[in-house]
Amino acid sequence: MTFFLLIGVSVVVFVILYLAPGDPFSVLLEGEMPTEAAREGIRQAMGVPTTWYSQYFAWLGKMLVGDFGTSIRTGMPVLPELLRVGWNTLVLTGGAMLVTLLVAVPVALYSAVRGVTLISWPLTILAYVISALPLFWLGYLVLYVAMRHFGIFPFAFASLGSEPKLIYFLLPILVLGLGSGAISEVVRHLREESSRVLDEEYVRTARAKGASVWRHAFKEGFLLPVTAIMATKVPFLIGGAIIVEQVFNWPGMGRMAWQAAQDRDYPVIMAIAIAAALLVRIGTLVQRVVYVTVNPRASQE
Amino acid sequence: MKRFRQRPGEISEFSDLPLWQKADTIDLLYVGYGLLIVSLVVASYLLGALQWLPHDPNALNLNLLLAGPGTPGHLLGTDFMGRDLLTRLVLGIQAYFLPGLMAVASALFGGTVLGVVAGYRGGGAGLIVTFLGNLIDSFPRLVLILLVIAAFKPDIWYIMAVIGISNVPAVASLVQGKIAMLREKNFIEAAVALGLPTRTIIAKHILWYNCKALLIIQATLGMAEAILMETSLSYLGFGVQEPTPSWGNMVQSGANYFLQGNLWPSTAPALAILFTILGFHLLGDGLNNLLEGKRGR
Repeated sequence: MTFFLLIGVSVVVFVILYLAPGDPFSVLLEGEMPTEAAREGIRQAMGVPTTWYSQYFAWLGKMLVGDFGTSIRTGMPVLPELLRVGWNTLVLTGGAMLVTLLVAVPVALYSAVRGVTLISWPLTILAYVISALPLFWLGYLVLYVAMRHFGIFPFAFASLGSEPKLIYFLLPILVLGLGSGAISEVVRHLREESSRVLDEEYVRTARAKGASVWRHAFKEGFLLPVTAIMATKVPFLIGGAIIVEQVFNWPGMGRMAWQAAQDRDYPVIMAIAIAAALLVRIGTLVQRVVYVTVNPRASQE
Repeated sequence: MKRFRQRPGEISEFSDLPLWQKADTIDLLYVGYGLLIVSLVVASYLLGALQWLPHDPNALNLNLLLAGPGTPGHLLGTDFMGRDLLTRLVLGIQAYFLPGLMAVASALFGGTVLGVVAGYRGGGAGLIVTFLGNLIDSFPRLVLILLVIAAFKPDIWYIMAVIGISNVPAVASLVQGKIAMLREKNFIEAAVALGLPTRTIIAKHILWYNCKALLIIQATLGMAEAILMETSLSYLGFGVQEPTPSWGNMVQSGANYFLQGNLWPSTAPALAILFTILGFHLLGDGLNNLLEGKRGR
Protein backbone atom coordinates (compact mmCIF):
# COMPACT_ATOMS: atom_id res chain seq x y z
CA MET A 1 0.00 0.00 0.00
CA THR A 2 2.74 2.41 0.98
CA PHE A 3 4.50 1.60 -2.27
CA PHE A 4 1.45 2.43 -4.39
CA LEU A 5 0.87 5.60 -2.42
CA LEU A 6 4.43 6.74 -3.04
CA ILE A 7 4.01 6.06 -6.76
CA GLY A 8 0.79 8.07 -6.56
CA VAL A 9 2.62 10.88 -4.80
CA SER A 10 5.21 11.08 -7.55
CA VAL A 11 2.47 11.05 -10.21
CA VAL A 12 0.62 13.92 -8.50
CA VAL A 13 3.78 16.00 -8.26
CA PHE A 14 4.69 15.26 -11.86
CA VAL A 15 1.23 16.05 -13.20
CA ILE A 16 1.09 19.42 -11.42
CA LEU A 17 4.43 20.40 -12.87
CA TYR A 18 3.54 18.97 -16.28
CA LEU A 19 0.37 21.06 -16.44
CA ALA A 20 2.21 24.22 -15.47
CA PRO A 21 2.37 26.85 -18.19
CA GLY A 22 5.74 27.26 -19.86
CA ASP A 23 8.61 24.91 -19.23
CA PRO A 24 12.08 25.40 -17.82
CA PHE A 25 13.50 25.37 -21.32
CA SER A 26 11.92 28.70 -22.20
CA VAL A 27 14.62 30.22 -20.02
CA LEU A 28 17.26 29.09 -22.50
CA LEU A 29 15.39 30.70 -25.35
CA GLU A 30 15.08 34.07 -23.71
CA GLY A 31 15.18 36.97 -26.10
CA GLU A 32 14.13 34.89 -29.09
CA MET A 33 10.69 34.09 -30.32
CA PRO A 34 10.18 30.61 -28.85
CA THR A 35 9.01 28.64 -31.85
CA GLU A 36 8.02 25.01 -31.53
CA ALA A 37 10.94 23.99 -33.69
CA ALA A 38 13.43 25.81 -31.50
CA ARG A 39 12.04 24.15 -28.39
CA GLU A 40 12.18 20.78 -30.02
CA GLY A 41 15.80 21.41 -31.00
CA ILE A 42 16.79 22.29 -27.47
CA ARG A 43 14.99 19.29 -26.06
CA GLN A 44 16.80 16.98 -28.43
CA ALA A 45 20.12 18.68 -27.88
CA MET A 46 19.79 18.16 -24.15
CA GLY A 47 18.48 14.64 -24.51
CA VAL A 48 15.14 15.32 -22.84
CA PRO A 49 12.37 12.88 -23.76
CA THR A 50 9.39 14.43 -25.45
CA THR A 51 6.42 12.30 -24.53
CA TRP A 52 4.93 12.78 -21.11
CA TYR A 53 5.34 9.20 -19.96
CA SER A 54 8.97 8.93 -20.96
CA GLN A 55 9.57 12.24 -19.18
CA TYR A 56 7.89 10.84 -16.11
CA PHE A 57 9.89 7.64 -16.09
CA ALA A 58 13.15 9.45 -16.76
CA TRP A 59 12.41 11.73 -13.81
CA LEU A 60 11.35 8.87 -11.56
CA GLY A 61 14.43 6.84 -12.46
CA LYS A 62 16.76 9.72 -11.67
CA MET A 63 14.97 10.33 -8.39
CA LEU A 64 15.32 6.71 -7.34
CA VAL A 65 19.09 6.92 -7.64
CA GLY A 66 19.06 10.11 -5.58
CA ASP A 67 19.32 12.66 -8.37
CA PHE A 68 16.76 15.36 -7.67
CA GLY A 69 18.28 17.73 -10.20
CA THR A 70 19.88 21.08 -9.52
CA SER A 71 18.29 24.16 -8.06
CA ILE A 72 17.47 26.79 -10.68
CA ARG A 73 18.35 29.60 -8.27
CA THR A 74 21.66 28.40 -6.83
CA GLY A 75 22.71 25.86 -9.46
CA MET A 76 23.57 23.40 -6.68
CA PRO A 77 22.31 19.81 -6.53
CA VAL A 78 19.08 19.66 -4.57
CA LEU A 79 19.60 16.51 -2.54
CA PRO A 80 22.56 17.44 -0.26
CA GLU A 81 20.94 20.77 0.53
CA LEU A 82 17.62 19.08 1.23
CA LEU A 83 19.23 16.57 3.58
CA ARG A 84 21.01 19.37 5.42
CA VAL A 85 17.92 21.49 6.06
CA GLY A 86 15.67 18.44 6.35
CA TRP A 87 17.51 17.52 9.52
CA ASN A 88 16.63 20.91 11.04
CA THR A 89 12.99 20.37 10.16
CA LEU A 90 13.06 16.90 11.68
CA VAL A 91 14.40 18.38 14.91
CA LEU A 92 11.68 21.02 14.85
CA THR A 93 8.75 18.71 14.13
CA GLY A 94 10.04 15.90 16.31
CA GLY A 95 10.53 18.26 19.22
CA ALA A 96 7.11 19.78 18.63
CA MET A 97 5.58 16.31 18.69
CA LEU A 98 7.24 15.69 22.03
CA VAL A 99 5.91 18.99 23.42
CA THR A 100 2.43 18.15 22.19
CA LEU A 101 2.54 14.75 23.90
CA LEU A 102 4.01 16.15 27.12
CA VAL A 103 1.10 18.56 27.39
CA ALA A 104 -1.71 16.46 25.98
CA VAL A 105 -1.11 13.05 27.55
CA PRO A 106 -1.37 14.05 31.24
CA VAL A 107 -4.50 16.09 30.55
CA ALA A 108 -6.13 13.28 28.59
CA LEU A 109 -5.26 10.58 31.13
CA TYR A 110 -6.37 12.75 34.01
CA SER A 111 -9.79 13.32 32.51
CA ALA A 112 -10.05 9.69 31.39
CA VAL A 113 -9.51 8.48 34.96
CA ARG A 114 -11.40 11.17 36.81
CA GLY A 115 -14.17 11.75 34.29
CA VAL A 116 -15.41 15.20 33.37
CA THR A 117 -14.60 17.50 36.26
CA LEU A 118 -14.58 21.20 36.85
CA ILE A 119 -11.17 21.71 35.32
CA SER A 120 -11.82 19.73 32.15
CA TRP A 121 -14.27 22.41 31.06
CA PRO A 122 -11.85 25.34 30.80
CA LEU A 123 -9.33 22.92 29.31
CA THR A 124 -11.71 22.07 26.48
CA ILE A 125 -12.29 25.72 25.71
CA LEU A 126 -8.56 26.39 25.91
CA ALA A 127 -7.93 23.57 23.44
CA TYR A 128 -10.42 25.09 21.01
CA VAL A 129 -8.85 28.53 21.34
CA ILE A 130 -5.32 27.25 20.83
CA SER A 131 -6.24 25.30 17.75
CA ALA A 132 -7.84 28.43 16.26
CA LEU A 133 -4.94 30.72 17.11
CA PRO A 134 -2.89 31.78 14.08
CA LEU A 135 0.52 30.18 14.49
CA PHE A 136 2.43 33.18 13.15
CA TRP A 137 0.94 35.51 15.72
CA LEU A 138 1.72 33.09 18.54
CA GLY A 139 5.28 32.99 17.20
CA TYR A 140 5.57 36.78 17.29
CA LEU A 141 4.15 36.87 20.79
CA VAL A 142 6.77 34.41 22.03
CA LEU A 143 9.49 36.32 20.19
CA TYR A 144 8.33 39.56 21.75
CA VAL A 145 8.25 38.15 25.26
CA ALA A 146 11.66 36.53 24.80
CA MET A 147 13.17 39.78 23.54
CA ARG A 148 11.53 42.11 26.01
CA HIS A 149 11.76 40.12 29.18
CA PHE A 150 14.66 37.78 28.67
CA GLY A 151 16.77 39.82 26.29
CA ILE A 152 17.35 37.00 23.81
CA PHE A 153 16.85 37.16 20.07
CA PRO A 154 15.71 33.71 19.01
CA PHE A 155 15.29 34.64 15.37
CA ALA A 156 19.02 35.23 15.01
CA PHE A 157 19.48 31.47 15.12
CA ALA A 158 20.37 31.22 11.44
CA SER A 159 23.33 33.59 11.72
CA LEU A 160 24.53 32.12 14.97
CA GLY A 161 26.86 29.73 13.22
CA SER A 162 28.41 26.74 14.85
CA GLU A 163 27.19 27.08 18.39
CA PRO A 164 23.43 27.30 18.67
CA LYS A 165 22.24 27.72 22.20
CA LEU A 166 19.53 25.48 23.53
CA ILE A 167 17.02 28.28 24.00
CA TYR A 168 17.09 29.17 20.30
CA PHE A 169 16.00 25.64 19.61
CA LEU A 170 13.42 25.45 22.31
CA LEU A 171 11.28 28.48 21.51
CA PRO A 172 10.25 27.52 17.95
CA ILE A 173 9.71 23.93 19.05
CA LEU A 174 7.50 25.15 21.88
CA VAL A 175 5.50 27.38 19.55
CA LEU A 176 4.92 24.63 17.00
CA GLY A 177 4.11 22.05 19.65
CA LEU A 178 1.60 24.26 21.43
CA GLY A 179 0.11 26.07 18.47
CA SER A 180 -0.24 23.46 15.75
CA GLY A 181 -3.68 22.44 16.97
CA ALA A 182 -2.60 18.84 17.51
CA ILE A 183 -2.96 19.09 21.28
CA SER A 184 -6.73 19.31 21.34
CA GLU A 185 -7.10 16.34 19.00
CA VAL A 186 -4.66 14.19 20.96
CA VAL A 187 -6.50 15.03 24.18
CA ARG A 188 -9.88 14.25 22.70
CA HIS A 189 -8.88 10.98 21.04
CA LEU A 190 -6.75 9.66 23.88
CA ARG A 191 -9.38 10.52 26.50
CA GLU A 192 -12.11 8.72 24.61
CA GLU A 193 -10.03 5.63 23.94
CA SER A 194 -8.55 5.43 27.43
CA SER A 195 -11.86 5.75 29.19
CA ARG A 196 -13.33 3.15 26.84
CA VAL A 197 -10.51 0.69 27.57
CA LEU A 198 -10.63 1.37 31.31
CA ASP A 199 -14.25 0.22 31.24
CA GLU A 200 -13.45 -3.05 29.48
CA GLU A 201 -13.96 -6.33 31.27
CA TYR A 202 -10.34 -7.43 31.19
CA VAL A 203 -9.19 -4.22 32.85
CA ARG A 204 -11.85 -4.62 35.48
CA THR A 205 -10.66 -8.17 36.08
CA ALA A 206 -7.11 -6.93 36.45
CA ARG A 207 -8.26 -4.32 38.90
CA ALA A 208 -10.19 -6.91 40.88
CA LYS A 209 -7.17 -9.20 41.04
CA GLY A 210 -5.15 -6.30 42.34
CA ALA A 211 -2.86 -6.36 39.31
CA SER A 212 -1.53 -3.16 37.81
CA VAL A 213 -4.32 -1.59 35.77
CA TRP A 214 -2.00 0.44 33.65
CA ARG A 215 0.10 -2.51 32.64
CA HIS A 216 -3.00 -4.15 31.23
CA ALA A 217 -4.52 -1.07 29.71
CA PHE A 218 -1.27 0.37 28.37
CA LYS A 219 -1.24 -1.12 24.88
CA GLU A 220 -4.88 -0.74 23.98
CA GLY A 221 -5.63 2.38 25.99
CA PHE A 222 -2.47 4.38 25.43
CA LEU A 223 -0.02 3.13 22.81
CA LEU A 224 -2.50 2.56 19.99
CA PRO A 225 -4.50 5.79 20.29
CA VAL A 226 -1.36 7.91 20.67
CA THR A 227 0.39 6.46 17.64
CA ALA A 228 -2.82 6.58 15.60
CA ILE A 229 -3.50 10.24 16.26
CA MET A 230 0.14 11.33 15.96
CA ALA A 231 0.45 9.63 12.57
CA THR A 232 -2.46 11.67 11.26
CA LYS A 233 -0.93 14.85 12.70
CA VAL A 234 2.42 14.56 10.88
CA PRO A 235 1.26 16.53 7.80
CA PHE A 236 -0.19 19.26 10.01
CA LEU A 237 3.07 19.56 11.91
CA ILE A 238 5.06 19.83 8.68
CA GLY A 239 2.64 22.47 7.40
CA GLY A 240 2.95 24.34 10.68
CA ALA A 241 6.73 24.05 10.46
CA ILE A 242 6.67 26.14 7.27
CA ILE A 243 5.05 28.99 9.20
CA VAL A 244 7.19 28.65 12.32
CA GLU A 245 10.40 28.47 10.30
CA GLN A 246 9.37 31.67 8.58
CA VAL A 247 8.71 33.46 11.87
CA PHE A 248 11.88 32.29 13.61
CA ASN A 249 14.12 32.31 10.55
CA TRP A 250 14.79 28.61 11.15
CA PRO A 251 16.85 27.18 8.30
CA GLY A 252 14.69 24.18 7.47
CA MET A 253 12.66 22.57 4.73
CA GLY A 254 9.80 25.00 5.22
CA ARG A 255 11.92 28.07 4.54
CA MET A 256 13.45 26.28 1.60
CA ALA A 257 9.97 25.55 0.24
CA TRP A 258 8.97 29.17 0.75
CA GLN A 259 12.05 30.41 -1.07
CA ALA A 260 11.52 27.91 -3.87
CA ALA A 261 7.89 28.97 -4.32
CA GLN A 262 9.02 32.59 -4.52
CA ASP A 263 11.63 31.83 -7.18
CA ARG A 264 9.50 29.22 -8.92
CA ASP A 265 12.39 26.86 -8.39
CA TYR A 266 10.74 23.65 -9.65
CA PRO A 267 13.34 21.02 -8.76
CA VAL A 268 13.59 22.21 -5.17
CA ILE A 269 9.87 22.38 -4.48
CA MET A 270 9.32 19.01 -6.17
CA ALA A 271 11.97 17.41 -3.98
CA ILE A 272 10.46 18.98 -0.88
CA ALA A 273 6.97 17.79 -1.75
CA ILE A 274 8.28 14.25 -2.25
CA ALA A 275 10.29 14.40 0.98
CA ALA A 276 7.32 15.69 2.96
CA ALA A 277 5.06 12.98 1.58
CA LEU A 278 7.75 10.42 2.42
CA LEU A 279 7.84 11.64 6.02
CA VAL A 280 4.06 11.39 6.27
CA ARG A 281 4.10 7.87 4.87
CA ILE A 282 6.85 6.88 7.31
CA GLY A 283 4.70 8.17 10.16
CA THR A 284 1.79 6.03 8.97
CA LEU A 285 4.06 3.04 8.54
CA VAL A 286 5.34 3.36 12.12
CA GLN A 287 1.76 3.50 13.33
CA ARG A 288 0.95 0.41 11.28
CA VAL A 289 3.95 -1.49 12.65
CA VAL A 290 2.99 -0.65 16.23
CA TYR A 291 -0.56 -1.72 15.54
CA VAL A 292 0.46 -5.06 14.08
CA THR A 293 2.94 -5.73 16.89
CA VAL A 294 0.29 -5.11 19.51
CA ASN A 295 -2.39 -6.87 17.55
CA PRO A 296 -0.81 -9.74 15.59
CA ARG A 297 -4.15 -10.86 14.18
CA ALA A 298 -4.23 -7.71 12.05
CA SER A 299 -1.12 -8.75 10.14
CA GLN A 300 -3.15 -11.27 8.20
CA GLU A 301 -5.15 -8.53 6.52
CA MET B 1 -41.83 29.16 30.93
CA LYS B 2 -41.12 26.37 28.49
CA ARG B 3 -38.09 25.40 30.46
CA PHE B 4 -40.21 23.93 33.22
CA ARG B 5 -42.11 21.56 31.00
CA GLN B 6 -38.99 19.48 30.65
CA ARG B 7 -39.36 16.35 32.70
CA PRO B 8 -36.48 15.26 34.90
CA GLY B 9 -34.37 12.36 33.84
CA GLU B 10 -32.65 11.35 30.64
CA ILE B 11 -34.11 12.83 27.49
CA SER B 12 -33.98 10.19 24.84
CA GLU B 13 -32.72 10.79 21.35
CA PHE B 14 -36.18 9.93 20.08
CA SER B 15 -38.12 12.31 22.31
CA ASP B 16 -40.44 14.56 20.37
CA LEU B 17 -39.27 17.70 22.11
CA PRO B 18 -38.02 20.30 19.64
CA LEU B 19 -34.33 20.06 18.90
CA TRP B 20 -33.31 23.09 20.90
CA GLN B 21 -35.02 21.78 24.02
CA LYS B 22 -33.46 18.37 24.19
CA ALA B 23 -30.01 19.73 23.30
CA ASP B 24 -27.24 20.36 25.77
CA THR B 25 -26.91 24.01 26.76
CA ILE B 26 -23.25 23.94 25.81
CA ASP B 27 -23.99 22.82 22.25
CA LEU B 28 -26.57 25.58 21.90
CA LEU B 29 -23.97 28.07 23.12
CA TYR B 30 -21.45 26.78 20.56
CA VAL B 31 -23.94 26.98 17.73
CA GLY B 32 -25.19 30.39 18.84
CA TYR B 33 -21.69 31.80 18.91
CA GLY B 34 -20.91 30.21 15.56
CA LEU B 35 -24.01 31.64 13.93
CA LEU B 36 -23.17 35.07 15.37
CA ILE B 37 -19.71 34.91 13.79
CA VAL B 38 -21.05 33.65 10.46
CA SER B 39 -23.59 36.47 10.27
CA LEU B 40 -20.91 39.01 11.21
CA VAL B 41 -18.66 37.70 8.45
CA VAL B 42 -21.44 37.77 5.87
CA ALA B 43 -22.54 41.27 6.94
CA SER B 44 -18.96 42.55 6.80
CA TYR B 45 -18.46 40.95 3.41
CA LEU B 46 -21.52 42.77 2.09
CA LEU B 47 -20.41 46.07 3.64
CA GLY B 48 -17.03 45.66 2.01
CA ALA B 49 -18.51 44.68 -1.34
CA LEU B 50 -20.81 47.72 -1.28
CA GLN B 51 -17.97 50.00 -0.15
CA TRP B 52 -19.96 51.12 2.88
CA LEU B 53 -16.95 51.59 5.07
CA PRO B 54 -16.29 54.07 7.88
CA HIS B 55 -13.03 55.24 6.27
CA ASP B 56 -11.11 55.00 3.02
CA PRO B 57 -9.02 51.84 3.58
CA ASN B 58 -5.98 53.41 1.94
CA ALA B 59 -6.27 56.91 3.40
CA LEU B 60 -3.05 57.71 5.24
CA ASN B 61 -3.15 59.74 8.40
CA LEU B 62 0.42 60.57 9.26
CA ASN B 63 -0.59 62.44 12.42
CA LEU B 64 -2.14 59.35 13.88
CA LEU B 65 0.20 56.40 13.43
CA LEU B 66 -0.26 53.20 15.45
CA ALA B 67 -3.16 54.58 17.49
CA GLY B 68 -4.63 52.20 20.01
CA PRO B 69 -8.22 50.97 20.04
CA GLY B 70 -10.80 53.47 21.15
CA THR B 71 -9.21 56.48 19.47
CA PRO B 72 -11.94 58.97 18.53
CA GLY B 73 -12.86 58.44 14.89
CA HIS B 74 -10.95 55.16 14.68
CA LEU B 75 -12.77 52.57 16.77
CA LEU B 76 -10.02 49.96 16.51
CA GLY B 77 -7.14 52.38 16.07
CA THR B 78 -4.80 52.76 13.12
CA ASP B 79 -1.87 50.86 11.64
CA PHE B 80 1.72 51.97 10.97
CA MET B 81 0.64 54.23 8.11
CA GLY B 82 -2.32 55.69 9.95
CA ARG B 83 -4.88 53.62 8.05
CA ASP B 84 -8.08 52.74 9.88
CA LEU B 85 -7.85 49.18 11.22
CA LEU B 86 -11.58 48.50 11.44
CA THR B 87 -12.04 49.41 7.79
CA ARG B 88 -9.16 47.21 6.75
CA LEU B 89 -10.39 44.32 8.88
CA VAL B 90 -13.83 44.51 7.28
CA LEU B 91 -12.31 44.75 3.83
CA GLY B 92 -9.94 41.85 4.59
CA ILE B 93 -12.89 39.48 4.42
CA GLN B 94 -13.03 40.05 0.66
CA ALA B 95 -9.76 38.16 0.38
CA TYR B 96 -11.18 34.82 1.48
CA PHE B 97 -14.97 34.97 1.34
CA LEU B 98 -15.83 34.04 -2.24
CA PRO B 99 -12.77 31.85 -2.84
CA GLY B 100 -13.47 30.03 0.41
CA LEU B 101 -17.09 29.43 -0.60
CA MET B 102 -15.87 28.08 -3.91
CA ALA B 103 -13.45 25.71 -2.19
CA VAL B 104 -16.21 24.47 0.11
CA ALA B 105 -18.72 24.09 -2.71
CA SER B 106 -16.34 22.12 -4.91
CA ALA B 107 -15.31 19.87 -2.02
CA LEU B 108 -18.96 19.15 -1.16
CA PHE B 109 -20.00 18.61 -4.76
CA GLY B 110 -17.09 16.38 -5.71
CA GLY B 111 -17.20 14.54 -2.41
CA THR B 112 -20.93 13.87 -2.65
CA VAL B 113 -20.73 12.54 -6.19
CA LEU B 114 -17.74 10.33 -5.40
CA GLY B 115 -19.24 9.22 -2.09
CA VAL B 116 -22.58 8.25 -3.65
CA VAL B 117 -20.86 6.27 -6.38
CA ALA B 118 -18.58 4.53 -3.89
CA GLY B 119 -21.40 3.93 -1.41
CA TYR B 120 -23.74 2.49 -4.02
CA ARG B 121 -21.22 0.55 -6.05
CA GLY B 122 -19.04 -0.44 -3.11
CA GLY B 123 -16.07 -2.71 -3.78
CA GLY B 124 -13.59 -1.20 -6.23
CA ALA B 125 -15.04 2.31 -6.14
CA GLY B 126 -14.79 2.28 -2.36
CA LEU B 127 -11.15 1.25 -2.54
CA ILE B 128 -10.43 4.05 -4.97
CA VAL B 129 -11.92 6.62 -2.60
CA THR B 130 -9.80 5.28 0.26
CA PHE B 131 -6.69 5.32 -1.90
CA LEU B 132 -7.32 8.90 -3.07
CA GLY B 133 -7.91 9.95 0.51
CA ASN B 134 -4.63 8.44 1.66
CA LEU B 135 -2.84 9.93 -1.33
CA ILE B 136 -4.09 13.45 -0.63
CA ASP B 137 -3.37 13.08 3.08
CA SER B 138 0.25 12.24 2.26
CA PHE B 139 0.86 15.85 1.34
CA PRO B 140 0.87 18.55 3.95
CA ARG B 141 -1.64 21.04 2.51
CA LEU B 142 0.75 23.96 2.68
CA VAL B 143 3.45 22.04 0.78
CA LEU B 144 0.97 21.07 -1.93
CA ILE B 145 -0.16 24.69 -2.22
CA LEU B 146 3.43 25.95 -2.43
CA LEU B 147 4.04 23.41 -5.19
CA VAL B 148 1.06 24.70 -7.14
CA ILE B 149 2.15 28.28 -6.54
CA ALA B 150 5.60 27.49 -7.91
CA ALA B 151 4.14 25.71 -10.93
CA PHE B 152 1.41 28.21 -11.77
CA LYS B 153 1.23 31.53 -9.97
CA PRO B 154 0.33 32.79 -6.50
CA ASP B 155 -3.37 33.21 -7.12
CA ILE B 156 -6.08 32.78 -4.50
CA TRP B 157 -8.34 30.85 -6.89
CA TYR B 158 -5.66 28.24 -7.58
CA ILE B 159 -5.02 27.95 -3.85
CA MET B 160 -8.69 27.48 -3.09
CA ALA B 161 -9.02 24.95 -5.91
CA VAL B 162 -6.27 22.93 -4.24
CA ILE B 163 -8.03 23.14 -0.88
CA GLY B 164 -11.35 22.20 -2.47
CA ILE B 165 -9.96 19.22 -4.34
CA SER B 166 -7.96 18.00 -1.39
CA ASN B 167 -11.10 17.95 0.77
CA VAL B 168 -13.03 15.85 -1.75
CA PRO B 169 -11.90 12.41 -0.47
CA ALA B 170 -12.72 13.28 3.15
CA VAL B 171 -16.28 14.29 2.27
CA ALA B 172 -16.60 11.30 -0.04
CA SER B 173 -15.66 8.80 2.65
CA LEU B 174 -18.14 10.37 5.10
CA VAL B 175 -20.96 10.19 2.54
CA GLN B 176 -19.93 6.68 1.64
CA GLY B 177 -20.02 5.58 5.27
CA LYS B 178 -23.42 7.17 5.74
CA ILE B 179 -24.82 5.41 2.69
CA ALA B 180 -23.40 2.06 3.78
CA MET B 181 -25.24 2.55 7.07
CA LEU B 182 -28.48 3.74 5.45
CA ARG B 183 -28.71 0.91 2.96
CA GLU B 184 -29.50 -1.47 5.80
CA LYS B 185 -32.42 0.65 6.98
CA ASN B 186 -36.02 -0.30 6.35
CA PHE B 187 -37.12 2.94 4.77
CA ILE B 188 -34.60 2.62 1.98
CA GLU B 189 -35.70 -0.94 1.35
CA ALA B 190 -39.28 0.29 1.39
CA ALA B 191 -38.43 2.98 -1.14
CA VAL B 192 -36.78 0.40 -3.37
CA ALA B 193 -39.75 -1.94 -2.97
CA LEU B 194 -42.12 0.87 -3.88
CA GLY B 195 -40.27 1.13 -7.16
CA LEU B 196 -38.95 4.62 -6.70
CA PRO B 197 -36.25 5.46 -9.21
CA THR B 198 -32.73 5.25 -7.83
CA ARG B 199 -32.25 8.91 -8.65
CA THR B 200 -35.08 9.90 -6.29
CA ILE B 201 -33.87 7.61 -3.53
CA ILE B 202 -30.38 9.06 -3.69
CA ALA B 203 -31.34 12.69 -4.07
CA LYS B 204 -34.29 12.81 -1.71
CA HIS B 205 -34.12 10.00 0.83
CA ILE B 206 -30.40 9.72 1.20
CA LEU B 207 -28.86 13.08 0.46
CA TRP B 208 -31.62 15.49 1.38
CA TYR B 209 -33.11 13.77 4.42
CA ASN B 210 -30.01 12.14 5.82
CA CYS B 211 -26.82 13.77 4.59
CA LYS B 212 -27.86 17.41 4.88
CA ALA B 213 -26.53 17.79 8.42
CA LEU B 214 -23.30 16.04 7.61
CA LEU B 215 -22.69 18.26 4.59
CA ILE B 216 -23.46 21.45 6.51
CA ILE B 217 -21.00 20.42 9.20
CA GLN B 218 -18.35 19.68 6.59
CA ALA B 219 -19.03 23.07 5.01
CA THR B 220 -18.37 24.96 8.24
CA LEU B 221 -15.18 23.02 8.94
CA GLY B 222 -14.04 23.45 5.33
CA MET B 223 -14.63 27.19 5.52
CA ALA B 224 -12.52 27.35 8.69
CA GLU B 225 -9.70 25.58 6.89
CA ALA B 226 -9.99 27.85 3.87
CA ILE B 227 -9.76 30.94 6.07
CA LEU B 228 -6.77 29.56 7.95
CA MET B 229 -5.01 28.73 4.68
CA GLU B 230 -5.73 32.10 3.12
CA THR B 231 -4.42 33.97 6.14
CA SER B 232 -1.34 31.72 6.36
CA LEU B 233 -0.54 32.27 2.69
CA SER B 234 -1.14 36.01 2.89
CA TYR B 235 1.17 35.98 5.86
CA LEU B 236 3.81 34.15 3.82
CA GLY B 237 3.37 36.74 1.07
CA PHE B 238 1.64 34.54 -1.53
CA GLY B 239 -1.89 35.71 -0.99
CA VAL B 240 -3.31 39.19 -1.27
CA GLN B 241 -0.61 41.84 -1.66
CA GLU B 242 -0.33 45.18 0.10
CA PRO B 243 -2.00 47.71 -0.04
CA THR B 244 -5.08 45.49 -0.43
CA PRO B 245 -5.81 44.28 3.08
CA SER B 246 -6.06 40.66 4.14
CA TRP B 247 -5.90 39.46 7.73
CA GLY B 248 -2.72 37.53 7.05
CA ASN B 249 -0.79 40.36 5.43
CA MET B 250 -2.03 42.75 8.14
CA VAL B 251 -0.40 40.56 10.81
CA GLN B 252 2.73 40.35 8.70
CA SER B 253 3.02 44.08 7.98
CA GLY B 254 2.51 44.89 11.64
CA ALA B 255 5.14 42.38 12.75
CA ASN B 256 8.12 44.74 12.90
CA TYR B 257 6.14 47.18 15.01
CA PHE B 258 4.95 44.26 17.10
CA LEU B 259 8.50 43.36 18.05
CA GLN B 260 9.17 46.99 18.91
CA GLY B 261 6.30 46.95 21.36
CA ASN B 262 3.31 48.16 19.32
CA LEU B 263 1.35 44.99 19.73
CA TRP B 264 -2.04 46.14 18.54
CA PRO B 265 -1.79 46.46 14.72
CA SER B 266 -0.76 42.79 14.41
CA THR B 267 -2.95 41.57 17.23
CA ALA B 268 -6.21 43.02 15.90
CA PRO B 269 -6.21 40.89 12.71
CA ALA B 270 -4.88 37.92 14.68
CA LEU B 271 -7.85 38.19 17.03
CA ALA B 272 -10.17 38.49 14.05
CA ILE B 273 -8.71 35.24 12.70
CA LEU B 274 -8.99 33.60 16.11
CA PHE B 275 -12.63 34.52 16.73
CA THR B 276 -13.68 33.65 13.21
CA ILE B 277 -11.98 30.25 13.08
CA LEU B 278 -13.24 29.52 16.58
CA GLY B 279 -16.76 30.41 15.45
CA PHE B 280 -16.66 28.05 12.49
CA HIS B 281 -15.12 25.23 14.55
CA LEU B 282 -17.64 25.57 17.36
CA LEU B 283 -20.50 25.81 14.89
CA GLY B 284 -19.33 22.61 13.23
CA ASP B 285 -18.84 20.71 16.48
CA GLY B 286 -22.04 22.03 18.03
CA LEU B 287 -24.08 21.08 14.97
CA ASN B 288 -22.39 17.70 14.96
CA ASN B 289 -23.51 17.06 18.53
CA LEU B 290 -27.01 18.41 17.90
CA LEU B 291 -27.81 16.81 14.57
CA GLU B 292 -25.69 13.70 14.44
CA GLY B 293 -26.10 12.92 18.12
CA LYS B 294 -22.44 12.33 18.88
CA ARG B 295 -21.41 12.81 22.46
CA GLY B 296 -17.67 12.79 22.11
CA ARG B 297 -16.38 15.73 24.06
